[in-house]
Amino acid sequence: MNRKFFHHFSLGLVLSLTLVVLAVCDVAGAEDFLNDESYEDQATSGVSDPIEPFNRAVFTFNDKAFIWVLNPVATGYSKVLPSDIRGCIGNFFYNLGEPVRSVNCLLQGRFQDSGRAISRFIINTIGGVFGLADAASETFEIARVRATFGQTFSVWGIGDGFYLVVPLLGSSTLRDFSGDVVETLATTSYYPWNDDIVTSATVFGIQDVNYISLHLGVYEDIKTMSFDPYVAFRNAYFQSRNKSSDQMIISSPTLDIN
Amino acid sequence: MLQNKYTVFLSFLLCCLLMGLVFSQSAVSASPDPTDQFRPFLKKVIDTLADPELKTIPKKEQGQRIITIVREHFDFREMSKRVLGMQWRNLNNKEQKEFEDLFTQLLQYAYIGKIDEYAGQQVAFVKQRIKGERAEVQTLLVDKEKSVPVSYIMLLRGDQWMAYDVIVEGVSLIRNYMEQFSEILRKDGYSGLVQQLKDKISQIEKEKMNA
Repeated sequence: MNRKFFHHFSLGLVLSLTLVVLAVCDVAGAEDFLNDESYEDQATSGVSDPIEPFNRAVFTFNDKAFIWVLNPVATGYSKVLPSDIRGCIGNFFYNLGEPVRSVNCLLQGRFQDSGRAISRFIINTIGGVFGLADAASETFEIARVRATFGQTFSVWGIGDGFYLVVPLLGSSTLRDFSGDVVETLATTSYYPWNDDIVTSATVFGIQDVNYISLHLGVYEDIKTMSFDPYVAFRNAYFQSRNKSSDQMIISSPTLDIN
Repeated sequence: MLQNKYTVFLSFLLCCLLMGLVFSQSAVSASPDPTDQFRPFLKKVIDTLADPELKTIPKKEQGQRIITIVREHFDFREMSKRVLGMQWRNLNNKEQKEFEDLFTQLLQYAYIGKIDEYAGQQVAFVKQRIKGERAEVQTLLVDKEKSVPVSYIMLLRGDQWMAYDVIVEGVSLIRNYMEQFSEILRKDGYSGLVQQLKDKISQIEKEKMNA
């Protein structure tokens, strides 16, 4: 009798908890593009930008830094290293972030995704030789999981605060930037080179340059095609952050290519 | 007891399956399949981009040739209507047409830039969703080093699915322009927006046509 009560109680608890998590997730959830409301009412992303003059100044600074420093470096770097090696370097850094991603999923109540992130880490570290190859996506068809501390904070009901353009890092919000700081601390704590600040900074620099080298020309393209690049990038930041898990599918080779 | 539970569960599953079959069947028979229409369409676009002959003709004609094909399954009027949101209704017929032409030209120039960059990327079809008269076809633009998720949002016009938005990495093209346009409209009104569109078009013309 007692056992039955306990059983029902725990089941009820789990169910209600799931519902709460789902309800919260739904609020933070993505827009459905097949719904007309996603076009009609909110022309603006509905996020406050009270420090717009400051943000615009940082945006201009970042733009100059990109054009005069980061882009030339990344272009030179892309000429030295072939794209598949740069892809491997990207994979390597991505793989290092998997444990933190897994923890974030746990904190958000996404247990399955948490398992996926950690299986990806194990498979790619061993089968992908320290994460240089993404064997988990390619052979095991375990798609990448998107999970950040910013998301976790959002699931816990912490609001965005306001839009923030961070020097050299770009678009964020007060909440997401705080999340990024926590994430960086968490990730670097188990990096093999966390002994001194110069090494860490160099590693971050490499990571950044490597990323840009894989997306050369994208920034300039968006800039020439937009009327107010500041607004274009702010809008793109909020849109891509809110995309549903449905739109986060990562390639798998079984797809039919026409 | 256990046996019983299984039977209930199995019959429930079977019901779900049957319902699913019935519903999907009716959806299929009611309207043409969006992926079936977009597969040959996107192949045609890619084949044209890959055609070495394309690069021998003047830049302006290149864009024209691409846009003629793109028009088969893109509804630029619907795009223009959505990108202006509520404002669209405040324009008269002439203004609507003027805006549609300018916006189409802007998007056409976006394609011209892509002609030179095209390097054998392929399109993979991921899945589709249909909701009444609307559909989303999710694809991946597969490149050597990365693949980019691209979704097409479309509307059923007669028996043709016509796209009115493109979502690249979760960012809707229309909604991105919508926010920029609404700021311009708020500050400078419709005439200001038209002026900015014209300026942008001639700026891109200068940069890309002479390149």
